[in-house]
Amino acid sequence: MPSLAYPVPTDLSPATVKNTASLFRIVTLALISGAAIASRLFSIINYESVIHEFDPWFNYRATRVLAAKGFYEFWNWFDPTAWYPLGRVVGGTVYPGLMATSGVIYYILQALNLPVDIRNICVLLAPGFSALTAWATYMFTKEMKNESAGLLAAAFIGIVPGYISRSVAGSYDNEAIAIFLLMFTFFLWIRALKQGSALYGTIAAVFYFYMVAAWGGYVFITNMIPVHALVLILMGRFSHRLYVAYCSWYAIGTLASMQVPFVGFQPVSTSEHMGALGVFGLLQIVAFIELVRSHVSSQNFQRLLRVFLVATGLLGASAFVFLTYNGKIAPWTGRFYSLWDTGYAKKYIPIIASVSEHQPTAWPSFFMDLQMLIFVFPAGVIMCFRELRDEHLFVIIYSVMASYFAGVMVRLMLTLTPVVCVASAIALSTLLETYINPVEPDAAVEVVEPKQTNGETTAAAAPSTPAGKKAKKPAAAAAAAPTSALSELVAVSSGKKTASSRGIFGLDTRIVVVLNTLWMLFFFVFHCTYVTSTAYSSPSVVLASQGPDGSQHIIDDFREAYYWLRQNTPEDAVVMSWWDYGYQIAGMADRPTLVDNNTWNNTHIATVGKAMSSSEENAYPILRKHDVDYVLVIFGGLIGYSGDDINKFLWMVRIAQGVWPDEIQESNYFTPRGEYRVDDNASKTMRESLMYKMSYYRFADLFGGNQAVDRVRNQQAPKNIELDYLDEAFTSENWIVRIYEVRKEDILGRDLKSANAFEKGKKRKRSKPITSRRRALAA
Amino acid sequence: MFSLRRWCLLALSLAGVLVDAKSSTGDSVLVVVDPAQQDNYSIFFNGLKDQGYELTFRSPKVEKPVIIEDNVSNFAHVILLAPEAKNLGKDITPQSIVELLSLKTNVVVALPTKQSPLHALAAEFSLILPPPGSPLISYSPKRDTPSTLIPISVEDHSSPVLTKHIRPVWFSGIPQALGNNPLLIPILRAPAESFASEVTVTSGSAEALVDAAEKGGEGLWAGSSLSAVTGFQATNGARITFVGGAEVFSDELAQKEAEQYVQSGNIDFVKEVAAWTFQENLVLRIEKVEHHLVNGTEPKETYTINDNVEFSAYISKWNPAKGEWQPYSGLKDLQLEFTMLDPFVRTALPPVNGAPGKYSTAFRAPDRHGVFKFVINHKRKGWSFLESSTTVPVVPPRHDGYPRFLSAAWPYYAGAISTSVAFFLFSTIWLAGEARDSKKGKAAKSE
Repeated sequence: MPSLAYPVPTDLSPATVKNTASLFRIVTLALISGAAIASRLFSIINYESVIHEFDPWFNYRATRVLAAKGFYEFWNWFDPTAWYPLGRVVGGTVYPGLMATSGVIYYILQALNLPVDIRNICVLLAPGFSALTAWATYMFTKEMKNESAGLLAAAFIGIVPGYISRSVAGSYDNEAIAIFLLMFTFFLWIRALKQGSALYGTIAAVFYFYMVAAWGGYVFITNMIPVHALVLILMGRFSHRLYVAYCSWYAIGTLASMQVPFVGFQPVSTSEHMGALGVFGLLQIVAFIELVRSHVSSQNFQRLLRVFLVATGLLGASAFVFLTYNGKIAPWTGRFYSLWDTGYAKKYIPIIASVSEHQPTAWPSFFMDLQMLIFVFPAGVIMCFRELRDEHLFVIIYSVMASYFAGVMVRLMLTLTPVVCVASAIALSTLLETYINPVEPDAAVEVVEPKQTNGETTAAAAPSTPAGKKAKKPAAAAAAAPTSALSELVAVSSGKKTASSRGIFGLDTRIVVVLNTLWMLFFFVFHCTYVTSTAYSSPSVVLASQGPDGSQHIIDDFREAYYWLRQNTPEDAVVMSWWDYGYQIAGMADRPTLVDNNTWNNTHIATVGKAMSSSEENAYPILRKHDVDYVLVIFGGLIGYSGDDINKFLWMVRIAQGVWPDEIQESNYFTPRGEYRVDDNASKTMRESLMYKMSYYRFADLFGGNQAVDRVRNQQAPKNIELDYLDEAFTSENWIVRIYEVRKEDILGRDLKSANAFEKGKKRKRSKPITSRRRALAA
Repeated sequence: MFSLRRWCLLALSLAGVLVDAKSSTGDSVLVVVDPAQQDNYSIFFNGLKDQGYELTFRSPKVEKPVIIEDNVSNFAHVILLAPEAKNLGKDITPQSIVELLSLKTNVVVALPTKQSPLHALAAEFSLILPPPGSPLISYSPKRDTPSTLIPISVEDHSSPVLTKHIRPVWFSGIPQALGNNPLLIPILRAPAESFASEVTVTSGSAEALVDAAEKGGEGLWAGSSLSAVTGFQATNGARITFVGGAEVFSDELAQKEAEQYVQSGNIDFVKEVAAWTFQENLVLRIEKVEHHLVNGTEPKETYTINDNVEFSAYISKWNPAKGEWQPYSGLKDLQLEFTMLDPFVRTALPPVNGAPGKYSTAFRAPDRHGVFKFVINHKRKGWSFLESSTTVPVVPPRHDGYPRFLSAAWPYYAGAISTSVAFFLFSTIWLAGEARDSKKGKAAKSE
């Protein structure tokens, strides 16, 4: 018997240990699910059960249509109130997976006579799915290492802020269910690959279809799996298991994904999907070559192979180039280019760059979102290298790709988070296993022969160790690492010889390291809870501020203004605002909008940008042409709300400039010294722009003669702003939302500026009949 | 007391309804006139009363009755016949007159020769008045009246407002030069040989006038480009008429002979002007519009692209003699637009034979989805504007609304069917073959 660092019970039967372990696993998973759901409820407790932010409002509105009218009406839904007057074919431009999921849950609950409001289903969908994500991550990590690593990974993904940021209660967005689908599809892929199972490949394809229906980020899977397969082929690891798994996944998955109306023929016609198709073709070729090799002598085979490879390579590449040139295959989209060149979007597609979540990630946010996992993550990747089975390659590729993308775009942090959790869990569980393992190395000590022998239990009998199934298991060096602590325990207690030359001596080392790790884990939990409760639980529809005494003050200007619109304007009154607020206006005020967060038409957005950045006279024809009745602006100058329209204004200018470079120039909005100012030094174009006037109209009156100060920009606010073409209709309590009514044309055919001047009793310059002596004489 | 009088007047006017012309917007008229002058316009006023209008007189110095109360106009029509008054009362300012128009009250304004607030008012209507104290002057034809009292002969159909033949009209007052506002409708043009000048300048040759115009920087105030009486129809349908001088309405000029033994046309002329201004003549309205599929009858909430849509409008004209709206099929140039930002379809909307007042057309909806509007925008000088806009979304076909079983698609159908059949055959053969193999294997084992 090897010497033990601490006593372990020896009279347990392996069955008891196994049963207890699986009970513990189930309980732990249940607790993890509970923690995952509970930590996402901060937003409801702090605020209320409300849909958050912007996109969720559209999803919520679409779900209501789906729940009220049924799936076919939803599929054929043409929304005449969005993108007025272009309208939006919602059924064909939306990923319906999220709405369908909520709809199904809603119908099931209705069928069970549980009258749950559709809003509550929407609000609580993301926390519910986060529990499923934890389970999927557990399954995935189990394939990589073992159950204990899986449990760690599940616990990590359950509470890690990087994932919570997109899945708090009320954050009813595609990502809410997509991360679960992502992890589960990957798990099924790994399963299919390991077993060479067409069944698992097909199930993977089904979940891939669900993912396609749910989130545009499905392209990540579409490229991740082919890259994995390609790397396996290049490493000479081609096997029939790979062939069966990939082909069943690709064929069924692609056909299924084309059933989503929004995706349509993209899987066979756009560059993003060509990789998967190429690998599919390559697999056929490789399989064919394998077949030929088994029938032809090796010398002939070499020659044949060379000719064949060159020919097919050339053929494939030229076909791809030809089809792209002919427009049969769409070239890469701008969003794709901006993944490689972070400056690309700013130059060519400002509309993409203007979204804050498309900005490159700042370093602190990695720590904020992942805390200690970001340090442990590389260790886990290295662990994967040490073993390097097929599935470990997947984790390695995934981590490399996701790390890059997370660095390029903030929102892609979301795809990095699962792999960070998986790799960290592998690393940490290895660490813990090594240090909790009671067996001490026997290099210096004499081997004491075990007296009691059960004899039956062998390493092969150790339950559910994936490592045990593999023949390619590395040599003795890593023997302690891959087997789970519990099976080790079983092995030790049953007197198996696991003597090795490496290990940990003594209890003190163990205690120091384990306590240290536990402390880190504890602090991780603390950090996650803190970040979740403070940073990621704000609905952004309702804001909160703290008084000097710590009391919370709720700022509810958005809903106040939207309900004002709903109550006080005709139902077909068109509201113009910057596109950020389109979904909210449609969802809360139920009024037609010009542009919204579905930024599919750059010209239309640029039109709004132009109207906002032009002078009143120039903006008025645009407003009238689009039947605009109300203009809504967000102004944070009074209470210091920094996400207001003046701060977004330069993006409006840039986007408008992209379409009308002759009329709108960004440089005109800066002072001669190149500063972006709103006070008296602001440039003339800036001061005359509609957005500027609407923001600061009557603002100075609020200060009653004192100097008016804009608290966002810490500059003096302008005085004496006059509006001739708009009337102030509504300003919310904290001045965050200001709504202006567009005046109708003057009944006398004058321009509204002179009509206004007349109304105020100003004298008009005397005009004369246009004539000249010559014309008079000629007549 | 006052209301009693009003009731009496109302009763009187009701008695007159059967025979006389009526306005389409109401009968109450406020006349702002100096009481001393009131009798000078008795023919005009009595003519209005006979038509059934209910006149209320108000002196420029008196504040009552007010014209606008609580943002509602108290009168359907207003006549300002006190041009020489310094001001017309506290509540009658240029601003309030524009407000009257926005409340759809019609106004007749007699312009003064002297400087007055009405100059500022005229400027808002793109009318340019000559400098104060320069009335219209003409020395031709030779006559015994002062040079400022001019007989103006009226050609038939010279203005859409004048619907019948009118004998020459005596005019005394100031002309108006017209700006480029399309809402202006000149009713009575100044004679070609007339000009506006200070009365003291009696030499008045054309050359001298032009020189004076350029030196003085006042522009050329001469010729038939000037207007003596000008109408204006606001975009909301309210009408206002500027008359160069109040004398046009006076009894004196009404009875004065224009030529020997020919009575002047003033009575008819002011009647016509009042009839147009007070919404008796040339008043149209759209009763209703309807749209449906060519083969259907019910209006649809949405139309599908490429649908054949039928659009109809029912238009009536005010009949002042009978005092009622009557279907009117007389418009030959009515147009319909189907617009989304820009017109996608612009087509004639012709009257339908046998259906009075109905105008109808059918067209194919464009191959473009969006929120479209059926737009009628008919603006003709003198006539009331016809404007109508009906919003209707045009949507793409439903998922099961696309054409099926196209002959052009047969290669694809054949491909799908052949693949299915081949897969089925392959599976069958494969499974059958497998079974035989395994049997063989079993047999071999057993042996």
